Amino acid sequence: MTDAKPAKRAPVRRRRPRSYWALRIGIGLLVFYVAVALLSFVWTPYDALTPGVGDGYDAPSWAFPLGTDRLGADMLSRLMVGARYDLGIAFTAVAIALTIGTIIGVLAGYHGGALDTAVMRGVEIFQAFPGLLFAMLVVQAVGAGIVNVILVLSFVGIPDYLRLARAEIRAKKDWQYAEAARLTGNLPWRVAFRHLLPNSVGPLLAFTSINAAFAALVTASLGFLGLGLGPNVPEWGNMIARGQDGVMTGEWWVSFFPGLAILGLTGGLYLMGDALADLTDPRRRR
Amino acid sequence: MLDQPLLQVRGLKKTFPIDGGRRLVAVDGVDLEIKAGETLALVGESGSGKSTVARCIVRLVEPTGGDVVIGGDSILGLQPSRLVGVYRRIQMVFQDPNASLNPRMSVRQVLEEPLHLHLYLLRSERDARVRELIEMVGLTPAHLDRYPHELSGGQRQRVGIARAIAVSPEIVILDEPTSSLDVSIRGQILDLLLELQERLHLAYLFITHDLQVVQHVAHRVAVMYLGGIVETGPTKELFADPRHPYTRALLSAAPVARWGVKRTRTRLSGEISSAIDPPDACRLAGRCPFARPSCSDARPPLTDIGGGRAVACPVVIERIPT
Amino acid sequence: MSDALLEIEDYSGAFVGETGELTPVLHGVSYRLKTGMMTAVVGESGSGKSLVALSILGIQPPAFERSSGRMLFRGSDLLELDERAMQGIRGAEISMVFQDARAALNPVFTVGRQLADVWQLQHGGSRRAAMTQAIEALRRVSIPEPERRALQYPHQFSGGMAQRAMIAMASLICEPSLLILDEPTTGLDVTIQSDIMELIVELSRTRGLTTCLITHDLGVVAETCQEVVVMNAGRVVETGSAEAIFTRPSDGYTQRLLSASQLVEAA
Repeated sequence: MTDAKPAKRAPVRRRRPRSYWALRIGIGLLVFYVAVALLSFVWTPYDALTPGVGDGYDAPSWAFPLGTDRLGADMLSRLMVGARYDLGIAFTAVAIALTIGTIIGVLAGYHGGALDTAVMRGVEIFQAFPGLLFAMLVVQAVGAGIVNVILVLSFVGIPDYLRLARAEIRAKKDWQYAEAARLTGNLPWRVAFRHLLPNSVGPLLAFTSINAAFAALVTASLGFLGLGLGPNVPEWGNMIARGQDGVMTGEWWVSFFPGLAILGLTGGLYLMGDALADLTDPRRRR
Repeated sequence: MLDQPLLQVRGLKKTFPIDGGRRLVAVDGVDLEIKAGETLALVGESGSGKSTVARCIVRLVEPTGGDVVIGGDSILGLQPSRLVGVYRRIQMVFQDPNASLNPRMSVRQVLEEPLHLHLYLLRSERDARVRELIEMVGLTPAHLDRYPHELSGGQRQRVGIARAIAVSPEIVILDEPTSSLDVSIRGQILDLLLELQERLHLAYLFITHDLQVVQHVAHRVAVMYLGGIVETGPTKELFADPRHPYTRALLSAAPVARWGVKRTRTRLSGEISSAIDPPDACRLAGRCPFARPSCSDARPPLTDIGGGRAVACPVVIERIPT
Repeated sequence: MSDALLEIEDYSGAFVGETGELTPVLHGVSYRLKTGMMTAVVGESGSGKSLVALSILGIQPPAFERSSGRMLFRGSDLLELDERAMQGIRGAEISMVFQDARAALNPVFTVGRQLADVWQLQHGGSRRAAMTQAIEALRRVSIPEPERRALQYPHQFSGGMAQRAMIAMASLICEPSLLILDEPTTGLDVTIQSDIMELIVELSRTRGLTTCLITHDLGVVAETCQEVVVMNAGRVVETGSAEAIFTRPSDGYTQRLLSASQLVEAA
């Protein structure tokens, strides 16, 4: 008789816990930013647009936790108001790009044929230009302003969503439940939007999160290059640009804190997107 | 008028273009007829084109040629919006119940959708119909709020069947409905299908490679080989006395789960030949033990031999005393 | 001494889940493979029939944890052997044919080369001699034009052809004493399936192989096997001669399985 060996083994390690942590940090950061942006509508320590509340280039102190800029405006107040701009522009642009890109992508993917070919040629030509360069050129041409920046940003984002939605639909189009849905009496567009698209929400959501990080970065880049909004608008990229001189002379906080704000926002969105991509991977689904 | 077939398929043809300008001939001139309340089994091995026939009939695949007539109306060339109406009369049960149910829809949603799309029902009527359907397929209302992954394979297939009969079609195409199930479940699903046929007077086009299933459920059989029907007839007669060399080879190859059964096999040499740009010859010519030179001259037509039977083989027809 | 080449005794085990919880899947499985005979292990999905077979070769999935049992092969317990010793057993003593032959072959090497490699590994000798053996083996399993076929890649083989090549590898190239076939004809067409089964029976008879056929198809069993083991939900429910199982099944599950396999009345 052989003795029964007791089952002794550490539980099989999975990647899941790490993904959950990344997701929690990402969502935590995002909630914090949105809360700050909302708070700025009702309360800021000082008025963000009023210069001279300090003497100019005040170092961080109890009165001005993040210091003041060259003109003596409170950095914390300006950063809080800036959250409205950066988040607002990036999220609006992403929402528009997601909606338009997905609709066109689903139609092209499901319909196939000439429509698909035409759409994809257009996308390829368009994507031959780097996104940031394109955004700069267009803003330069049509002029600055919030609406223009949002439109340009969403336009730059459309091809990515389109490609993703198209790829998702094409991969699932010949699945049996899509065929079953057609025989149930669904018209083709209904099969595409009611049956196939909901099964692609995961990848789209994950990509949206990562893409929002990119949009926030481009928003700030345009501001930094002076192409986005007016010079006095407390947009973070704008603020970094205006604080550059300070960095040379030791007033680091004027550029550093807006930079940190951008890093936190994009980092949070990336973490969240990466975790979502991981968690919604169909191979991991039960 | 009474005897008019419910479903008629005439000269159905489907070719797929493949690279190099060549064509894969999946279905090459298939004729079928099904009457109300009748089961026709379409039997064949992989590559025979039996599934393509089924998918052409409901236009999941667009046929290259031929015609499909349901209750006197041709359904080829109908716009998608008109086709929806056809799907009230003809429905399909798919092979893999796991893949044919949307993972994000509960059983209730699966069953409500066809009702919603085809019938104008009050909420209470719809609820009642959904409950009636789930009980008709041997499940309980408790299953309605489950999702496909919470059901067993057999239960999923029952849901697939309930979806197909939801709008009371006249014809249901069953595409290998039991081949992904365990043997013990297979019998239960077949019994359910037989029971529903009797109760609802359904006509079935039963696509399968399982000869036992054919004998169990079908009134008539059509045997397919490489895109064409080689033999057709009433199930009992065809199984008792198969004529076409391929039918004989097929029937004699099927193992029997009984002790002491001895089979005399009709053997074909080699394996199924290619369906790419096939020559105008009997598709079995290269493998057939009874082949003679004239078999390679032209493709033999399906010829009536009486008793509702037809065979596409001049060699065996000649031997039949008249 | 018993006349069994392999004896499985009280083999039990469970799958270890994500969080370490155990799901028992095998409950005291015991059966014997008699020397020179063809034994069928019959069961439906979830019966554990394949898991036991994989365990014989020590290639069970890593999440499976054994809790008890022995597998006596020629009197020594396979489960106590280390990996090195197992390597010596696999192929040379026990070989296995899987359901999906094309997936079991390496797609980047020609079929002939894969057979020749195994031959050289098992028997040594020159490359040339090994290739000759590979071609002979393919000829023996009725693959037409074996010289040409040996130079082809697995994707150029049909499913039935690839299964023949796998059988050639497992029986003729490895020359084992025990051949395990895990659903070797599932997924193949009936006509091809019958030919493959005939080949298996003929090879094991002429070579005096002990064969274990794992299958869900009682039809295949009736004509080919002498002994039958019926498994259900991780347990052996009945063992006996094929004639006994088919003519007077005693267990309720065996009876149900048998009647489910006999949809058609006897002629």
